Amino acid sequence: MISQFFVLSQRGDNIVFRDYRGEVAKGSAEIFFRKVKFWKEDGQEEAPPVFNVDGVNYFHVKVVGLLFVATTRVNVSPSLVLELLQRIARVIKDYLGVLSEDSLRKNFVLVYELLDEVIDFGYVQTTSTEVLKSYVFNEPIVVDAARLQPLGPAAIFMQGTKRMPGTAVTKSVVANEPGGRKREEIFVDIIEKISVTFSSSGYILTSEIDGTIQMKSYLSGNPEIRLALNEDLSIGRGGGTIYDYRSSSGSGAVILDDCNFHESVRLDSFDMDRTLSLVPPDGEFPVMNYRMTQEFKPPFRINCLIEEAGQLKAEVIIKVRAEFPSNITANTIAVQMPLPKYTTRASFELEPGAVGQRTDFKEANKKLEWGLKKIVGGSEHTLRAKLTFSQESHANLTKEAGPVSMTFTIPMYNVSRLQVKYLQIAKKSSSYNPYRWVRYVTQANSYVARI
Amino acid sequence: MSGHDSKYFSTTKKGEIPELKEELNSQYKDKRKDAVKKVIAAMTVGKDVSSLFTDVVNCMQTENLELKKLVYLYLINYAKSQPDLAILAVNTFVKDSQDPNPLIRALAVRTMGCIRVDKITEYLCDPLQRCLKDDDPYVRKTAAICVAKLYDINAELVEDRGFLDSLKDLISDNNPMVVANAVAALAEIQENSSGPIFEITTPTLTKLLTALNECTEWGQVFILDALSRYKASDAREAENIVERVTPRLQHANCAVVLSAVKMILQQMELITSTDVVRNLCKKMAPPLVTLLSAEPEIQYVALRNINLIVQRRPTILAHEIKVFFCKYNDPIYVKMEKLEIMIKLASDRNIDQVLLEFKEYATEVDVDFVRKAVRAIGRCAIKLERAAERCISVLLELIKIKVNYVVQEAIIVIKDIFRRYPNTYESIIATLCESLDTLDEPEAKASMIWIIGEYAERIDNADELLESFLESFPEEPPQVQLQLLTATVKLFLKKPTEGPQQMIQVVLNNATVETDNPDLRDRAYIYWRLLSTDPEAAKDVVLAEKPVISDDSNQLDSTLLDELLANIATLSSVYHKPPDAFVTRAKTATQKTEDDDYPDGNETRYSETLSNAANGGASPPSSSSVPHAAARQPAPAPAAPAPAAVPDLLSDLIGLDNNQIVPADQPATSSGPPLPILLPAGSGQGLQISAQLVRQDGQIFYSLQFENNTQITLDGFMIQFNKNSFGLAAAGPLQVPPLAPGASARTLLPMVLFQNMSTGPPNTLLQVAVKNSQQPVWYFNDKILLHVFFTEDGRMERTSFLETWRSLPDSNEVLKEFPGIVVTSAEATLDQLAASNMFFIAKRKHANQDVFYFSAKIPRGTPFLIELTTIIGNPGVKCAIKTPNPEMAPLFFEAIETLLKA
Repeated sequence: MISQFFVLSQRGDNIVFRDYRGEVAKGSAEIFFRKVKFWKEDGQEEAPPVFNVDGVNYFHVKVVGLLFVATTRVNVSPSLVLELLQRIARVIKDYLGVLSEDSLRKNFVLVYELLDEVIDFGYVQTTSTEVLKSYVFNEPIVVDAARLQPLGPAAIFMQGTKRMPGTAVTKSVVANEPGGRKREEIFVDIIEKISVTFSSSGYILTSEIDGTIQMKSYLSGNPEIRLALNEDLSIGRGGGTIYDYRSSSGSGAVILDDCNFHESVRLDSFDMDRTLSLVPPDGEFPVMNYRMTQEFKPPFRINCLIEEAGQLKAEVIIKVRAEFPSNITANTIAVQMPLPKYTTRASFELEPGAVGQRTDFKEANKKLEWGLKKIVGGSEHTLRAKLTFSQESHANLTKEAGPVSMTFTIPMYNVSRLQVKYLQIAKKSSSYNPYRWVRYVTQANSYVARI
Repeated sequence: MSGHDSKYFSTTKKGEIPELKEELNSQYKDKRKDAVKKVIAAMTVGKDVSSLFTDVVNCMQTENLELKKLVYLYLINYAKSQPDLAILAVNTFVKDSQDPNPLIRALAVRTMGCIRVDKITEYLCDPLQRCLKDDDPYVRKTAAICVAKLYDINAELVEDRGFLDSLKDLISDNNPMVVANAVAALAEIQENSSGPIFEITTPTLTKLLTALNECTEWGQVFILDALSRYKASDAREAENIVERVTPRLQHANCAVVLSAVKMILQQMELITSTDVVRNLCKKMAPPLVTLLSAEPEIQYVALRNINLIVQRRPTILAHEIKVFFCKYNDPIYVKMEKLEIMIKLASDRNIDQVLLEFKEYATEVDVDFVRKAVRAIGRCAIKLERAAERCISVLLELIKIKVNYVVQEAIIVIKDIFRRYPNTYESIIATLCESLDTLDEPEAKASMIWIIGEYAERIDNADELLESFLESFPEEPPQVQLQLLTATVKLFLKKPTEGPQQMIQVVLNNATVETDNPDLRDRAYIYWRLLSTDPEAAKDVVLAEKPVISDDSNQLDSTLLDELLANIATLSSVYHKPPDAFVTRAKTATQKTEDDDYPDGNETRYSETLSNAANGGASPPSSSSVPHAAARQPAPAPAAPAPAAVPDLLSDLIGLDNNQIVPADQPATSSGPPLPILLPAGSGQGLQISAQLVRQDGQIFYSLQFENNTQITLDGFMIQFNKNSFGLAAAGPLQVPPLAPGASARTLLPMVLFQNMSTGPPNTLLQVAVKNSQQPVWYFNDKILLHVFFTEDGRMERTSFLETWRSLPDSNEVLKEFPGIVVTSAEATLDQLAASNMFFIAKRKHANQDVFYFSAKIPRGTPFLIELTTIIGNPGVKCAIKTPNPEMAPLFFEAIETLLKA
């Protein structure tokens, strides 16, 4: 049960403020912001998502640069409150199409109406856009999406690929389009965030996939949908532990460690033929979340060398090799590497003919940054950097630099080999044939090579 | 709709309020709606638009839901400041609550409940009653929450109008949303009430478990949290419950998963089959790990909970240590928690992998994270004996990088490793000494100095090393000074040569004459005296073998851990603090009764009793009047203990009775049992206050003792009491003579009741403020023990006792067990209770138990009928009471516990 809900801008401005119980003093937003801004406790400089100031408990999550905050005085379930804050952000986004300070301000009446239906006396009533539609009457005023950074994992489809209707993801679920009738379409996105840690000799120390099958439906009349996954999909690591060495690459079956499903999903035939059936509610929601530690082929291999090159000088060589098919292209790649603290200068040398690459030495935190617009499957790229130091290194340079970390997005590629075999929409009539978009994407979560 | 809402934020040149007023009264609907939006916009940015109250309320009568909602939003905000005008809205509310449109009906009750104006509350009851029985589930679920709102405003009204029963009926509603809200409302009401309101009985449990499957995710959390209070009767029931709850672990909502984990962990305590337990542990692991794939904020909550879970059931995640390895992009608060759990899960089997990780973390950028990683290596060394050597070699490797804070952190943990494995790894001291001059943090310095002193005989140049620190002795922080002092003494005892002898002179001089730190001075004097009187004894003391320390990575003590585990999936489990430590909302402890289990049993059992007693059972007055005169006062101490001995002995000679008739307005000093210290001298700048409420000759006094440990005379003492549940206040001025330094005084301050009563459920808090002319005002808290209010006329005739017992409904009976209390002698206990005006009425035997009946009364005629059940000489006393005022029960139980323990 929460007492207040509010949204603050990055500068601490109150964008939305709703008090549900009058137990917490009005100045709470200010107290909260000051506390978060100047957090310094337990040797940490970043405020944890839950903390207590003078008997008031503050919860917050950050969504597209906005702070979504709740307060309470009682011993509530913190995961409930944090999850709720995320959901409120999602509902508002469903309604407004774009979540931003601007869109919130333009739609404040609608937002307050939503908040009154989502929470009553501090208790969550519903966070389902579908359900809310029957109680909420204000119409969203859609802000111009093109100018704004869109939100959410689906936003990544806007980059690079031209085939995708990019504007769709910033389309309000409830607003009517200018043309009058809504376009019948449904988006199913398989989004995989991968974490890999390579040892200094290139072995994979840990690897993990956090996947989501995300759905956003603009279908009228809520038809039933069937979603078929790989038939050889299995769940649970069959009693094995991470200490057992599984037959590498194995039989080709996809083995999930664990998965969970949205409440609208019916699993009647899931055990039989790996089919999910559901009547998708309006709005964006995860049909299924899954987690895998089964071995997979990492999309990139990173090679890094750092060695002394004369007095107070060193050279760094970073090689990145794309190990996916050549018809696939990764985009927005960023490689980072902390350098020794006494580095004063870095000069870079790119390979001849390099396009769409940039390099930078961040003086303040002694970091090397290398950005690449895209990398085509099968190719390899190298960066050389010459470093100048202000003092002798104490011991091994590799202890004072690194690790190399990397972020990237690879559209139309997923490492787990989990697939949506088909997406079936219960037919209303023979002419009913809505657009279906099934899209895959792989993103780096924590992709690190130690040196 | 035209344009953007943000236009409502723009201000106009003309006076804003008059312009809005005009628009609100426009004849055009659209214009009125726009105007209300502008008003709301102004309101949300904090402008005062309360002067438009009447105009806005005039817009309320509309069929347009959008507009109606806006007006309601305004009303909620301003009704409190305009209660008289808010009444204008009542008619529309009542009308709306009967509207054919269910959305309007629900909106009306929802909004009325939010308007915390007494006059409106009266009108809320009838609509609420109707809406609780509405045909539409949306209206019912809104009404259910509204009962909780009303309870918060006026609890009595809710009880009187029978809303609680309607709410309980809703638990069986066919709509899961309604059930969930009813459960949430009941749980909140229970939380704020002392009586049993929301008991989870077996039928309720069954109903709720069924509803669980159909509820929304949020409703599932409400229900699981409410059910977690249920105690299964045996292993089989526990297994059944767990079986119903386990599917929730697959839910995509983290809150559902954690609440389900809590429920399963609780029931697991009862399950005896190891197979079942093992199986459950296996089932819980993957969902717990999956929580770590959620947003970092949720991960943090999950990690704090997992930290507790692995302390109780390490097997659940024993094989999952890899998932707690820190990711490069984890926020710092997640990394820190992961490190904690890695230490907890580290074992001989995985330590190599873990060390590899720690080593990597120790070279990362974030200083605090690096420090914690270094410390983690040390903690693993202390925890895992067989891996200690490997841990130490990693630490040495890190020291060689010569990063200042890494070295310092490593030295701190190595000191602990030496304490854990004495005489094992001293060979590394030489390496440590190399970094001596880089140390600049007190803790690291102190650790290094401790090592040098402890192993002085093995370090050839120990005297030189210590000497280098001595130069800066006066500037060092106390922590380092203390270690330097001890280390020098150790060195001297081990190598009593000329060098150390000179050093010790310098140190002792510095630590006694030159310092104003009392700790340092005291320690130095003790060493000095030891060394000068008996050097052998000094050796025995200073060089005594130290106890080996153990691993502190399971640092929570088991009672706290139990309490925290019972609070999994709440804030308590995130802070690792019990709820009372941070929940400040006024609340009295909830009492469990077993009423529901024995619906009629009490009555029959009881009447039987009394007839037994009447049929020539014990005759109470005679049997209890074996005189124990000394027991007139609880726990009389024959002689006053140390403080203020001289004046008190005098008054002792005059006699206790004399003391009691000292007129109230004269300073009365008395001896008596030592009073609890409420303001320790440390907090009162040398003034110590001890106090307790006492009852003497039918009057309540506040017995106070003042001790002046300051250097000045204190006078002009005054006292004041904050509002409290009983309206206790001073009946006259506080009479304390001026207190010379070192003096103390005792006084009895007569008290009166019902002066300045606080509202809300009764509690025992008594807040006291004391001031004098020399010091600031001191505040301290005391606890009111109910038995000082027990009046002398509390004795009840047996017949009237029986009648009263019968006339009170069963819901007024409250029961509590005191498992730790032993009644060794019935007579002594009866006398003791009689001395506190708890009057014995009858006694009977029930099987091997003795059952005693008492009556007591507090002012304003509230009687307590008491039943004590115990086996004489065995631990465990059960106390049942019936009273017209059951919210006093927790206070009563506290009092009886004190009396029985005395």
